[in-house]
Amino acid sequence: MTSFRRLSTGGRIARNQPVTARFDGKPLPGFTGDTLASALLANNKVLIGRSFKYHRPRGLVAAGIEEPNGLFTIGEGARNEPNVAATMVEMTDGLVAKTQNAWPSPNFDLMAVNSLLSPLFQSGFYYKTFMGPSKGSWMFYEPFIRKAAGLGKATDLPDPDRYDMRFAFCDVLVIGSGPAGLAAALTAGRSGARVVLAEQDSDFGGSLLSGNDAEQEAWRVSCVEELQSLPNVDAFTRTTVQGLYDGNLAVLVENRSRLHPDPAKGQPRMVLTQLRAKTIVMATGAIERPLVFSNNDRPGVMLASALRSYVNRFAVAPDKRAVIVTNNDTAYDAALDLAAAGIAITVADHRTAVSADLLSRAGARGIAIFPGSGIFDVEGSKGVTRVKLGGAHAVTIECDAVGMAGGWSPVVHLSSHGGIKPKYDETAAGFVPGGFPASHFGAGAMMGRYGLSAAIAEGSNAGASAASHAGFGKTRPVYAPEHATDRSYAILPSWSPPQGAKGKAFVDFQNDVTIKDVKIAHQEGYRSVEHLKRYTTLGMGTDQGKTSNINALALMAEYRGITIPEAGTTTFRPPYAPLTMGAIAGRTVGSHFRPVRRSPLHDWHVKNGATFIDAGLWKRAWYYAWAGNSPETAYVKEMELVRRGVGLADVSTLGKIDIQGPDAAEFLNRVYVNGFAKLPVGKVRYGVMLNDDGIVLDDGTTARITDNQFYMTTTTAQAGEVMSWLEYLLQMQWPELNVQVASLTDEWAGMAVSGPKAREALQLAFPDADASNEGLPYMGCKDIPFDGVTVRLLRMSFSGELAYEVHVAADYAISLWEHILKAAASTGIKPYGLEALASLRIEKGHVAGLELDHRNTLDDLGLGKMAGKEKDYVGKALRFREDCQSPERWSLVGLELMEPDKKLRGGSILFAATDEIKGHGRGYITSVTWSTELNKFIALGLYKGGLKHEGEEIIAAFPLKNEQARLKIVSPHFIDKEGARLNA
Amino acid sequence: MLERISALASARPYVSSVLTIAERAGFTLTQVAGLSPDFETKLSAAVGPLPGSVSRAQVNGERVIFRIGPAQFWIVEPEAGTTPARLDGVGAVTPLTSSRVRIAIAGAPAREVMAMLAPVDFHPAVFTPGAVALTGIHHTPVTIHCTGENAFDTYVMRTFARDVWDAITDAGAAYQF
Repeated sequence: MTSFRRLSTGGRIARNQPVTARFDGKPLPGFTGDTLASALLANNKVLIGRSFKYHRPRGLVAAGIEEPNGLFTIGEGARNEPNVAATMVEMTDGLVAKTQNAWPSPNFDLMAVNSLLSPLFQSGFYYKTFMGPSKGSWMFYEPFIRKAAGLGKATDLPDPDRYDMRFAFCDVLVIGSGPAGLAAALTAGRSGARVVLAEQDSDFGGSLLSGNDAEQEAWRVSCVEELQSLPNVDAFTRTTVQGLYDGNLAVLVENRSRLHPDPAKGQPRMVLTQLRAKTIVMATGAIERPLVFSNNDRPGVMLASALRSYVNRFAVAPDKRAVIVTNNDTAYDAALDLAAAGIAITVADHRTAVSADLLSRAGARGIAIFPGSGIFDVEGSKGVTRVKLGGAHAVTIECDAVGMAGGWSPVVHLSSHGGIKPKYDETAAGFVPGGFPASHFGAGAMMGRYGLSAAIAEGSNAGASAASHAGFGKTRPVYAPEHATDRSYAILPSWSPPQGAKGKAFVDFQNDVTIKDVKIAHQEGYRSVEHLKRYTTLGMGTDQGKTSNINALALMAEYRGITIPEAGTTTFRPPYAPLTMGAIAGRTVGSHFRPVRRSPLHDWHVKNGATFIDAGLWKRAWYYAWAGNSPETAYVKEMELVRRGVGLADVSTLGKIDIQGPDAAEFLNRVYVNGFAKLPVGKVRYGVMLNDDGIVLDDGTTARITDNQFYMTTTTAQAGEVMSWLEYLLQMQWPELNVQVASLTDEWAGMAVSGPKAREALQLAFPDADASNEGLPYMGCKDIPFDGVTVRLLRMSFSGELAYEVHVAADYAISLWEHILKAAASTGIKPYGLEALASLRIEKGHVAGLELDHRNTLDDLGLGKMAGKEKDYVGKALRFREDCQSPERWSLVGLELMEPDKKLRGGSILFAATDEIKGHGRGYITSVTWSTELNKFIALGLYKGGLKHEGEEIIAAFPLKNEQARLKIVSPHFIDKEGARLNA
Repeated sequence: MLERISALASARPYVSSVLTIAERAGFTLTQVAGLSPDFETKLSAAVGPLPGSVSRAQVNGERVIFRIGPAQFWIVEPEAGTTPARLDGVGAVTPLTSSRVRIAIAGAPAREVMAMLAPVDFHPAVFTPGAVALTGIHHTPVTIHCTGENAFDTYVMRTFARDVWDAITDAGAAYQF
């Protein structure tokens, strides 16, 4: 029965640094240098989980990132992270790990009953079974299926850890630090190029870390020491390159979990680096393939290379005896190293002929070799007790473990992230990169060159080429250790297992896909490899088929009678390995999720009882505490203040643009639909601009400051768009116009002084300024000096009352605001917020962002008469398209609620009184408010045919709350149609 | 005179023994844009040599000049500077002093912190003193000026300044302890 133990000597573990993790609530001892996987094996925890679908007992298969079975939930509470491969978790004090997908335990799992039902659970089972009896059945079943399937469970608590993001640049990025990667990084580094070496493991060396050759170890150490001595080289361990993107952008994620970082001290658990490299060398190595045979998933059946890693790197080995089954020479590395550690080894070699050298070396270690043999079946359920060989030597061998050596699969994932499909290399018996862009290079096993000296030579060449490509010429190559030799890596292809065995033969361990599932998919006509993947789930999950893909492709090709290259491979996409969402989010969480924009008066609002509301990125003062504690009542009080006294509102968020130049007037005349060429200095004009499709882009005002300088304001929402539009027109459409524009939105603060007492307030605040009708008439503007700064006064009104806007450089905004409130205190002036601001304009019938929604024409908004008939302007031609002139277009109307006991809601759908209340209706309410003037709810809306229906009674429906109300269509100008107030 | 109040008046101060992150107030910023073919000649006569490219600032005494676009310059100088008076007739002059907040980031880890903020190569051999980047921090446009070996001035839009300040100090969080 499978049993593992820690050897008394050897390994790269620090025996003087014992550590203790907690595994399923119990102490798990290990050493620094152990992974959770090696510590589990060292503690003879062989059965460590249950399989995805059948809940079969499972043990570790690999020692690296490709591990399909050994997935655990790491951490607890808010730090609970499911499905983490034990092979990638470093042992530390305080590490908490739990088994998953088994209840009550992996050793005794009630869900193992699934295994008995396995004939039902073949590929396509879900699709065949849960599609009926009705059309919507799948939606009914899906939640139950999802609950039964899956592995670990994620927490829904906020992640308390910190994840940093940084940008970096280099000349040469080397991915992987095996022999090829070390040689590439060092050769490039010696040229003086800025090199980044990224290694996913906890140490540099790749496959060398699993060897036991002293000369190779000395070479590795020497390379690493030289790399670390070079100031132009940044070498990172525990750093996985998760994706390569256009422009040589690589995304690297460094895992610092072992340090138990404290987020309160700014210490990140992971750091995501967006690295832009001039050149990239991929030295990502290769992953050993399992072999497919009956019960090849029993705990204790592992990759031969994993057995070698565990014995050499972690000093963990099977208790007494192991059987290694292979189709190539590389298995003998594991066999010899295990034998050297005192483990009795038997090799079942698919090949009938084994080289004399291997026979000789194996013989010297007492290794029994059975050529022409493979594994027929594995006996044992929660571990291996015996293996039955088939082929030339049909013997049964008792053992603790089985090593599978099915050849090697180059890690080509990153090379295909840019869209280049891998190609099959017969010599390497695997897919290799299908090509590289000019600045990418590959070296070593990932290119199908598995030998040590070949990998080093190729790595050094790639490093030199990459450095040269980045503009660094002179370097010194890196040479292989003197005795590094390259042996054959050729395999004897044998994809199908021996016939006759009754156990399941797994192709994909993580997704419980057996050879039978692949066969069924084939029989049911799934001929494309992409369909095979989706029908069987093969190659999905956390390991993304790193160990299973080639075997599956080969089997599929075999069934179809085609070659593996003809079958092709699935598409590799980022991320290369599982990645926590926290690393992707980085610091864009909580209040950092998106930028917040604050008015220059923001701090005053905070100190003086404002409640804020988000308006795009802006935080705007919604209403103030003086008026009440709820928006429903406060804004009404603030409206009354403006209608009957005077209020002060922050309008700093309006877009503001400086337009200068001898052609500025002509420019504006073309931009706005109405005339601006003859606007006198000291006057302001309301204007509307269209997109070139004839649809309204924005409205606003523009003041003429001097002959050649104008001051434009835009709506808050369209400020950026208008600025870009003006720049586009000047640069692309009318380069002949001598005009410069500059955004002043951040430079100038604005405050509206509105209400019948506005003039009185203004005079009190600025006693030296003449605010009379003669001194500052309606739509007039002037700059005045005040207390050492320039204040711009503009007489215009959004509320419909007598009103002024006071603009000043933003740094002085709070001081000036406070001055106005203090100086004009006798008028009863108080601040009013956005809700009142937006409601007052509804009473006046002014359109705003809700009506200017990029779908309406000038005529829709009742502004058609503004447009100049003689002059040209942007959008004029397409404004007169037939559809834009249709009398049935939805156009602006005023609406009055006729049922006083009801409430009117924005967004309500409008229907004619005789319509069935169904569908999109004839329009909708854009803006709604309680009218303090009319003492009822009023609204602006868009209605089919518009004011043609003035006086008609219609229905507003709000289906979300099942509400309906009767309305009357009226003029959108609810108050002061003659403009007496604003001209007062 | 009315009191000037910083956009960072309510921001939490950043304190570290190895890294300075602080507002550097007390400057005027004037944008000048060309309206004539001899614009740069006239501007140079008024303020001294101009930077040759967007990526380098020109320092003329206490006056720092940035080329921010085609025929567009920023001139930054102490509050008592004389630049605006010299620019009459040179081009389109737009005062922008209130529109930007200047945040200084200086100290040994400054380049590491900057690398967490903007997609710019802050390697000391690349982003040398005098270097300028028109780039973005926290999704907002900023101008970064390398003022010393490990020192940077970052010009941030006023209305985003509080939020960008929080992002910058957050990037420097590890150096507060």
